[in-house]
Amino acid sequence: MRPTNKNTMLKVVILGDGGVGKSCLMNRFVSNHFDEHSFHTIGVEFLNKDIEIDGETYTLQIWDTAGQERFKTLRTPFYRGSDICLLTYAVDDKVSFRNLSMWKNEFLYYADVKEHLHFPFIVVGNKSDISNEEREVSQIELESWCNENGICNCIETSAKNASNVQEAFKMAVQYWLKAESRADKNEYSCNDTIDLTKKSGESRSSCCIGATEE
Amino acid sequence: MEQNEEKVEEIFVQEGVLLLSGPASHIEYMKLTGTLYITRYEKHENEYSTIFIEWKPNENLTIDSDIQDQEWAVVNTVEKRTRTLSGSLIPEEANRSKYLRVNFDTIKSFKVANSGRKILFNDGRGDVICTFSFQNGNSTCFIASLRQHIKTAPSRRDKNLYIVVGEIGNNDKQIETSFKTLSLFPDDHNYMWSFVKNFQHRPYETTMEAFAKVTNIGNYFWNYYFLEYLIVYNERPLDDETKEVLNKSIIAIESATTTHTQDDYEVVANVPKLPDRKDCPRSKPLTKEQWLDLQNCEGKIEDVDGIKLLIFRGGVTPSLRKSVWKYLLNYYSWESTQKERDQVTKDKKEEYYRMKTQWMTMTKMQEDNFSDYRERKSLIEKDVNRTDRAYDFYAGDNNPHLQLLNDILMTYVMYNFDLGYVQGMSDLLSPILYLLQDEVDAFWCFVGFMEKVLSNFDIDQAGMKEQLQHLHTLLAFTEPELSTYLDNHDSGNMFFCFRWLLVWFKRELNQEDVMKLWEVLWTGLPCQNFHLLICLAILETEKRALMDNNYGFTEILKHINELSLKLNVNFLLNKAEGIYRQIEEATHANDNVRDIVGLPKLENGNMDSPNTASFTYLESSADHASVNIDTNEVSYERGISNSYL
Ligand SMILES: Nc1nc2c(ncn2[C@@H]2O[C@H](COP(=O)(O)OP(=O)(O)OP(=O)(O)O)[C@@H](O)[C@H]2O)c(=O)[nH]1
Ligand SMILES: [Mg+2]
Repeated sequence: MRPTNKNTMLKVVILGDGGVGKSCLMNRFVSNHFDEHSFHTIGVEFLNKDIEIDGETYTLQIWDTAGQERFKTLRTPFYRGSDICLLTYAVDDKVSFRNLSMWKNEFLYYADVKEHLHFPFIVVGNKSDISNEEREVSQIELESWCNENGICNCIETSAKNASNVQEAFKMAVQYWLKAESRADKNEYSCNDTIDLTKKSGESRSSCCIGATEE
Repeated sequence: MEQNEEKVEEIFVQEGVLLLSGPASHIEYMKLTGTLYITRYEKHENEYSTIFIEWKPNENLTIDSDIQDQEWAVVNTVEKRTRTLSGSLIPEEANRSKYLRVNFDTIKSFKVANSGRKILFNDGRGDVICTFSFQNGNSTCFIASLRQHIKTAPSRRDKNLYIVVGEIGNNDKQIETSFKTLSLFPDDHNYMWSFVKNFQHRPYETTMEAFAKVTNIGNYFWNYYFLEYLIVYNERPLDDETKEVLNKSIIAIESATTTHTQDDYEVVANVPKLPDRKDCPRSKPLTKEQWLDLQNCEGKIEDVDGIKLLIFRGGVTPSLRKSVWKYLLNYYSWESTQKERDQVTKDKKEEYYRMKTQWMTMTKMQEDNFSDYRERKSLIEKDVNRTDRAYDFYAGDNNPHLQLLNDILMTYVMYNFDLGYVQGMSDLLSPILYLLQDEVDAFWCFVGFMEKVLSNFDIDQAGMKEQLQHLHTLLAFTEPELSTYLDNHDSGNMFFCFRWLLVWFKRELNQEDVMKLWEVLWTGLPCQNFHLLICLAILETEKRALMDNNYGFTEILKHINELSLKLNVNFLLNKAEGIYRQIEEATHANDNVRDIVGLPKLENGNMDSPNTASFTYLESSADHASVNIDTNEVSYERGISNSYL
């Protein structure tokens, strides 16, 4: 599965409402290029890009999907196996900010993440270049949302003028490293298999009850 | 509702089983870990087997029930729609639809791979129904348990392949009754024997002919019942010669109906060959002279079919498109006179502006209190800014054509508020507006196009899922090798073709080619779902690239995405039509395949007419590479075969 070079390959998904700038962020990061008028995304696309952190090279496989709610069932299968998730909104679009919770839940539900608590989410407020009059979400609102949701990493970016884009991805990988090392430590103390068994056993029976009651 | 009272007996349960591939209806569960069950239900009317395999994804719930319900509803819809295709995938009540449930009527064989850690269930028509990977341990216990309830026969060719013979227990009775209903050879065992002998000569066709008459549930299933019956229940002792005949028959049927796969090699067994591909060269586009010639003095088109055929064969001369597209997109009816068209133009113009005024005059307060509307409006704004901006017609800031795109899409929201605006629609509108350069005309032509592709934008994406599934079914028929390859590389859901289908290749072709392709597709010729055959043509062209590079899921997706602007429309149309002709002529095309392209079902199973066909088959049996039986062996069987039929 992983390429022959010995870089660590990390799967990164960028989620957020349509038009918040997911594709622009990806293209800025991967090819340092910004096309104001590029198409909206249909289906899924991905690009690879190497990033160096503390002398180590990581290959990021960045997945970009269509943001509209309608395409949910066809986008969610791609969440599985993600190492990092960028939750994005646009600072000039309050609705996209409010939808962050929805995106986070959708991701956790379909990505089959083992440890919800420590999953490397990064919240990205894009389009930070816009004027103050156009701004609908402040940095303070962003921080407080992150606090409430137990996410310790957030950043405002602009794909347009290239501010903070590299930083956002770098931050994501650093946070992933932290989460990894924590997971390593806990490896022996928790037993996933038993946990899983219990859960699915329960849900099946409740499911059947649901069906018979109707 | 009845299903609610149904008793389910769980025969076997195994946790930690990953769904590697499955029907498109379960696309969102692929790659998820879940639980695999063997279950027994009370007998259903149309099913012979009461045994099912079921799989359900693990739930790690942190999502509100609201979203969940929606999700299940989605899957449910799809199952209902595709029921006819997927045989006994049973539509279930909403909250159970995450179960993947397959009846053993549907499963014709299963294969164990990866030292028992992987198991594939085959439908006997070259398609893999679903594939599971055992995360904890292997499939040994599962198979052991299964074989207590399902009678299996080990394949003669592959020790990892098990042919499903039937359910243990009610087997005997079933065979009896089913052969009574066969009533092909009611009392006369000699008659039956002559039938058996036919296996030797042409086992595949013989069984197809016989069983297709009586039952449309899996033919291959019955082959085994039948052979079992002959071996086990016949009073006549089996001599060596007959035994050999039967053995050969089994092998031949196996060859013709199962697809063998393993991780390091893939052999697609001898599936009956398609007829030769015909070259279907393109013609010259419809000219102005032809167009005028085909109208009478009132401006009525005299020969609609003829004109459609001309368009299908060669497209339309660019300068004529403006007129012709209005017919192709049902703005004008083909039968209308010039006078009637003038009236339609007038009426439609009024209607358009009435709808446009509705949203134009919405007050700020109304908008503030109307979130659905606001959402649509804002997305349209964003997408209009991102539609075909590289073309002069839409380039530059404050381009008035962008305003037109916006207004037409907004008015469409008022025209069809339930659908509203869905991403992809701006791609469909853009070439139409570019061509017609008139707001009202473009709107109504866009409405006509939307009418043709409405299901692409279903709220639950059921239409898209169904098309992906259809595409897979067609591919399994025309390119079984590639289809198997995709199945084994996590791509059997055909998701990588999503963009092609959603906007009819708009993103893959330049403007001129898009227009060329669309006008051909709008004719509805030569068959329904012809756009799926365009997909087949592309996939066939890319087959070697995908397989020789041993591309996996991500590489396949990338490769297909990167075909954008590298496709040749005329080449693909030629090829796609050739594929259609092959499907049309293939005598072994199953009804699923024929149904997708709108061909009538073959009445006698796969034969046009049993009487004449039996001769044809005998005459040309050498061509049928599918049947690995030495054709010289017994030629006197001809006589018997003819009298039997
Ligand atoms: N001012 C500003 N505009 C931006 C920025 N990033 C993206 N945009 C604009 O926002 C629009 C949407 O960007 P995309 O990257 O296409 O959005 P997306 O999130 O990929 O949207 P979908 O593909 O529809 O899900 C584009 O028209 C860009 O011009 C930014 O940093 N600043
Ligand atoms: Mg995008």
